[in-house]
Amino acid sequence: MTSTLPQTVSPFLEPGPRTKPNSLAVLQLSRDNFVPVYLQQASGEHDGYVEGAVINTRYGSFPHSTLLNVPWGSQVRASKVDTGSRGRKRKWQLDEEAGRATSEPIEDEKETGNGAGEENGDGDEGKQLVTDTSGFIHVLPPTPEIWTTSLPHRTQVVYTPDASYILHRIRARPGSTLIEAGAGSGSFTHASARAVYNGSLVKGKRPGKVFSFEFHEERYHKMKKELSDHALDGIVQLTHRDVYKDGFLVDGKSPEADAVFLDLPAPWEALPLLSRQRPQLREGEAGEAGANPWVSPLHPKKSVFICTFSPCVEQVTRTVSTLRHLGWVDIEMVEIANRKLHTARDRVGLYLPVDRGVNSSAKDIEEAITKLTEIEERFRENARPKQPADGSEPAKVASKAATNGKTSVDEAALKYPWLDGRLVTRGEPEIKTHTSYLVFAVLPMVWTAEDEATALARYPIGNEKFVVSLMGKASMKEERREAMQQKQGNRKSRRKDRDEKLAEAEG
Amino acid sequence: MYSSIIRPNTWVAIRLPSGVTRNILVTPNATISLGKYGSFPANLIIERPYHVTFEIEDQRPDEKYSRIRIVPASELYAEIFADEESPDCSAPTVDAAKPVISAEDGVEFTLVDAESGKLVTRSSGEVIDENARQTLTQEEIEELKREGSNAGKDVIAKLMLSHTALDQKTSFSLAKYKLLKTKKYIRRFQILPVDVPNLAHWQLEERDASKILDLRAEMIALVGSWGNVHYGGDSVYLGDPMATCEQGEEALAPLQGDLLNGRWLVVDDTGGLLVAAIAERMGVLFPELDEDEDSLDEQARREKRERREAEKEAEDNQDGDVDMADADDPANRAIDGARPKKVRSSDFAIPYSQTNTITVVHSASQPSLPFLGYWDFDAVAPSHAEHPLCRHLMCLTWLQLLKPELDTAYSTPPLTASPELLGSWKPSRRGNFHRKRRRFARTRHVVEATRAGGFSGLVCASTMDPISILKHTLPLLAGGAPVSMYSPTLEPLAALADCFSVSRRTAWTSGTLPEMVAKTVEELERWEGSEQFPLNPTLLLGTSIQTSRARRWQVLPGRTHPLMTERGGTDGYVFTAWRAKPAAGKVAAKGKFKRRKLETGSAAESEAADTPKA
Repeated sequence: MTSTLPQTVSPFLEPGPRTKPNSLAVLQLSRDNFVPVYLQQASGEHDGYVEGAVINTRYGSFPHSTLLNVPWGSQVRASKVDTGSRGRKRKWQLDEEAGRATSEPIEDEKETGNGAGEENGDGDEGKQLVTDTSGFIHVLPPTPEIWTTSLPHRTQVVYTPDASYILHRIRARPGSTLIEAGAGSGSFTHASARAVYNGSLVKGKRPGKVFSFEFHEERYHKMKKELSDHALDGIVQLTHRDVYKDGFLVDGKSPEADAVFLDLPAPWEALPLLSRQRPQLREGEAGEAGANPWVSPLHPKKSVFICTFSPCVEQVTRTVSTLRHLGWVDIEMVEIANRKLHTARDRVGLYLPVDRGVNSSAKDIEEAITKLTEIEERFRENARPKQPADGSEPAKVASKAATNGKTSVDEAALKYPWLDGRLVTRGEPEIKTHTSYLVFAVLPMVWTAEDEATALARYPIGNEKFVVSLMGKASMKEERREAMQQKQGNRKSRRKDRDEKLAEAEG
Repeated sequence: MYSSIIRPNTWVAIRLPSGVTRNILVTPNATISLGKYGSFPANLIIERPYHVTFEIEDQRPDEKYSRIRIVPASELYAEIFADEESPDCSAPTVDAAKPVISAEDGVEFTLVDAESGKLVTRSSGEVIDENARQTLTQEEIEELKREGSNAGKDVIAKLMLSHTALDQKTSFSLAKYKLLKTKKYIRRFQILPVDVPNLAHWQLEERDASKILDLRAEMIALVGSWGNVHYGGDSVYLGDPMATCEQGEEALAPLQGDLLNGRWLVVDDTGGLLVAAIAERMGVLFPELDEDEDSLDEQARREKRERREAEKEAEDNQDGDVDMADADDPANRAIDGARPKKVRSSDFAIPYSQTNTITVVHSASQPSLPFLGYWDFDAVAPSHAEHPLCRHLMCLTWLQLLKPELDTAYSTPPLTASPELLGSWKPSRRGNFHRKRRRFARTRHVVEATRAGGFSGLVCASTMDPISILKHTLPLLAGGAPVSMYSPTLEPLAALADCFSVSRRTAWTSGTLPEMVAKTVEELERWEGSEQFPLNPTLLLGTSIQTSRARRWQVLPGRTHPLMTERGGTDGYVFTAWRAKPAAGKVAAKGKFKRRKLETGSAAESEAADTPKA
């Protein structure tokens, strides 16, 4: 699988200006409907389509050839594709080669796409494509945000509002080394890979890395494939492991992490293995571990930031307690509430054209009064005893003219519906009220007596030359005043002192 | 990345027991005064680790200064551990006589307001007035403080012992009382690195939040994340054109569009905090440190320093007219790491990287980025010590971007002089001559590169109208580039989102608008804006507005709940979207109505995902 994709920089990190074959692209069908696709070059018939690989959506069919080598963000029109006969043919084919490639359909697709590498993209389509009027889509470069939105829900997903805040707080920056336990759906993995990425060309620079651990075997394999498809496997090192038991070392070596993210059901089980010193042996474990020297997975010379992600308060209580016992400081628990807002034009009015989203009730008191007056007038007119035709005619015409005049005023609204109505914002119909509790903490580096002695020798004390005060001017003044008062009593006595001094000086 | 230990002459944040943070420059051989909490020699924190808690010790009889010690975590949490061990976990145990004091760890204990105290006092009518029950007079307390033994713990213990109503307090209010006193008297502090999260927090909570447009950590994270801001590729530099002082603008290095990569366009009215956050995400905020310097032992470290100094000296000696024979071929591009050799670059050499850059467009004649000073960078300093931002941060005015011909720095041709004439000048005049030429080359490059467009994203936190910002910046964005705009208030963003409303887009794509007649796609991309359509509504995709708020909790054994009060003020909103490249002409979207069965729910989606089904 890996070999089909060229080992380049991930499209998540450096997508380049245009879409490329065999690389991930995201199709935006509608507002929140994203479809990730590995674009392939056309190589004759594929999957029953003359056009090569085709994407079928409710907005029409899109052969890959129309999506390839276009600038990112391009709007692409649907093409006329014969989907009818293909279905029948496909069925007939399948009968013949039953059992083949059904278990791994994607594999099958890739193999066909592989041959396309040598051919030239646009020129050699099976037939000239005709634009369809059924619709269009947009091609977007993949980002962790879009990827998270388009994820199938395999497991609990860490959404962007949480993920972005966590990465900000645990100081995941270019060059950081991050441990992530519970890779899960990979949404956080992608976001953290982007955060720690710091290039590859420069020597001597410590490359940013994500050490990811996943216990669930099926998810592990799925993630592994996904990472290599996204060309992120150089940044993310995925390990299949039960971290509660086997810890966080990779190939027996320390990842030297300076940031940790635990999305585990029982973080307190894993925390002892993230210590700087050998954790105390748990019950049931023999002393055999004592034979090997303890290697900490943490960076020995840096403060390590951690975040745990748990949905229940009870989990948090236990986690925080364990963190305290293990010497973590600045422990803080937060919960992120994110709201999306939609803007709309609230169109209310009696004289608006009947349209979707128009509330045909009075928009204000004046309009209500006008309408009521109108009704009253009409009512009175009808109640009036019938008079000779020539008398009633003009009155009726006049009232009609008034109504007509009113509607003609709102013709502007009819012409420019986007300018009409009041601009309002609303929340989504369904909101996420709780994702998980985030516990943050910091583990300072170990500071030994020898370290202290070295530092003290390098920066000896005792020859301080000036004072740097933390306090602002106001508080310093306040303090001085307090001190003065204590020394010299109140203002009166001080004045007396001063007067005496002055007198002395003069005398 | 900041250093893992406190280095001399860097800014650090000192957090006091009261929860107050102060930023301070750590100068060797100074005394740092924490006001009522005491003072200590700065040398005692230099090259010590961050995040540990220090305690100011009592002055030794033969010394004129107080030493400090690191408080182990077990001592910080002693009281909480005692609570955990007590059989009834819901009631905190406080032993008044015990001189062990709980942590000053601000977060968990900030809940010490009167309201919650009432909730836990034994009878509703009983309100404990601390002053009335405290038998120690103010003078006595001051006396105790002055004697100040045992880092303030004695004061607290004595205060508690001489409180007459102590036995009337519930365990909850007792715990609170102790905390209040601890925060006031304990002589402990913590040193935090000044990075973007800490600086933003400090500015927001303790300084003037309006200066940074109330930009909370959640919002900084969201803006950066949706702006897809990340390391934009290894630095690439344009070759030095080796222009002689007789050559004018014709000698400028031409712009190479294909090299421009990983560039973010930024509009920042938060005094540089947004730029700092972006720089942090791109890895260009912290001065590069030798990774291994920390791990080297003293001997090796000294050797390294000496070697570096020797090199510098050699460089200085080489001064004057270095012959440029061994210079790179102008066509050569220096890749990061193999930076321009020891050859003095010509006036027209471009100091900026072509990748991984931040371009700030500002409305005043100088960029206002004072917060970058905390990371030793000054955007307006004429000559600057080596800093990653020197090569990765470019600033230009809106005038230079939109009407460069009106800008003097851009449009005045560079000075030229023959070598003989130059030689006859005084050094100061010669320096001025070179400085002006360098500034000209830089300005030209920044303006041309920005106008060339192709930016990887736009990130804004500005007080200006977002519609006007987008009008001029949308054409500069590459296709698919994200737009991420922060605003403290919702209304400007709502008005912006309305420019991309469905009805506007539909009307636009129908191709029947008179304004659009006979305009090419390129012209429409540079849409000037009309009353009906302030912006071309097809230029952005997936427009969305969101807001986030972090709610903080106190987690203590048996006393876990959200904090009672938090910072209010403006919520802050983020507008996000992606730049689209609309197709030319009318685009129909009639939909596909045939196979209705497949069009609902997941069936349609999986169909769309193009996974061939068996």
